[in-house]
Amino acid sequence: MTVSRRQFLKLSAGAATATAFGGLGISLKPTVAKAELQKLKWAKQTTSVCCYCAVGCGLIVHTAKDGAGRAINVEGDPDHPINEGSLCAKGASIWQLAENANRPQTPLYRAPNSTEWKPVSWDWALTEIAKRVKKTRDKSFQLKNEKGEQVNRTEAIASAGSAAMDNEECWAYQSLLRSLGLVYIEHQARI
Amino acid sequence: MAKKFLVDLTRCTACRGCQVACKQWKKLPAEATVNWGSHQNPKDLSFNTLRLVRFEEIVNDGKVDWLFFPEQCRHCYEPPCLGQAELDDERAVIQDEATGAVIFTEYTKNVDAEGVREACPYDIPRKDPVTGQLSKCDMCIDRIQNGMKPACVLSCPTGAMSFGEEEEIDALAQERLAAAQKRYPEAVLGDPEDVRVVYLFQQDPTKYFEKAIASASPTMMNRKQMFARLLGTTKA
Repeated sequence: MTVSRRQFLKLSAGAATATAFGGLGISLKPTVAKAELQKLKWAKQTTSVCCYCAVGCGLIVHTAKDGAGRAINVEGDPDHPINEGSLCAKGASIWQLAENANRPQTPLYRAPNSTEWKPVSWDWALTEIAKRVKKTRDKSFQLKNEKGEQVNRTEAIASAGSAAMDNEECWAYQSLLRSLGLVYIEHQARI
Repeated sequence: MAKKFLVDLTRCTACRGCQVACKQWKKLPAEATVNWGSHQNPKDLSFNTLRLVRFEEIVNDGKVDWLFFPEQCRHCYEPPCLGQAELDDERAVIQDEATGAVIFTEYTKNVDAEGVREACPYDIPRKDPVTGQLSKCDMCIDRIQNGMKPACVLSCPTGAMSFGEEEEIDALAQERLAAAQKRYPEAVLGDPEDVRVVYLFQQDPTKYFEKAIASASPTMMNRKQMFARLLGTTKA
């Protein structure tokens, strides 16, 4: 199946004519490819770990030095023992975890019985979540179980966890939840 | 020194990390895709999709086989696109002496886009409907000049992609071919002496994609090319 060099030359119109007409056609003079400015020369490099699955691939995050401080490129870390620079399709897209104009810019709130999401501020959202967690927790808090043993728990709130949290974040998260008295604590920590 | 790629398809799992890494490095926008019954999405290369993993389901002796073909510009030693494009503007397509990379510049907007696309044995160049410019893979020339691997090669998790000096890759290609042929007797390299992106196919290349290798039937010169050459109007 291999096409020989001769056949290949025949295939390419430009090269074929150059051969046939003794160099009338193709330009053989040296051309120098203009290098694009290498944006990474002006970037700060930070290592990180991909949060998308349990493999835990190493990343290099390039952030702009020009004051913007935003990520401009994220790629696999060639010195990382796990992935040696490689990334899957999901990991290769991880730059968009930080920079993506198509993602919601603020938290969205849908009021009970409403059919519409409305953009709200982080301040409002966090205050509202804290208020509602406190209300439910205070209302459902059990100091003792049926046998009279001290339990200090709430069975009215559960946590389903997050797939994008790492081991350390999960530890901090579960200790917050336990301090509230939650017993239904699930997680999807993968790294 | 001139560079070369080897894409060992026996190792490709079609994870499409290369396809996304290419978009990520070049910051090319996403395309609206539809479910058309294949994981091959978007359906074809475009001005904004320079690398595409093609999926092909075939039947061999009553058994289904699934072929993956991560397609990109082959960076021909003697690029037909360059020969065609310079008829209209010699600045349109340039070949980097150091790496052998074939690069489309902004002046591709001045050339006969259809002619350039037809000149390509692999049907790679695509036109931007807005600016009229043509685009394709540029070998990540900016990365190479700074001692980095092309984005697709760096991202490949299975070792299907290798990049390096021409002689090293030629040797590696022969080594991998010999290994592959033990399991896949039909294994073959795609145009290894003519292009800088060499695929190792585990079976007939045309089963992967019609234009996976340069067609065996010669492409005729079009009228425009022929007259330009006969009359010597090309800027040599």
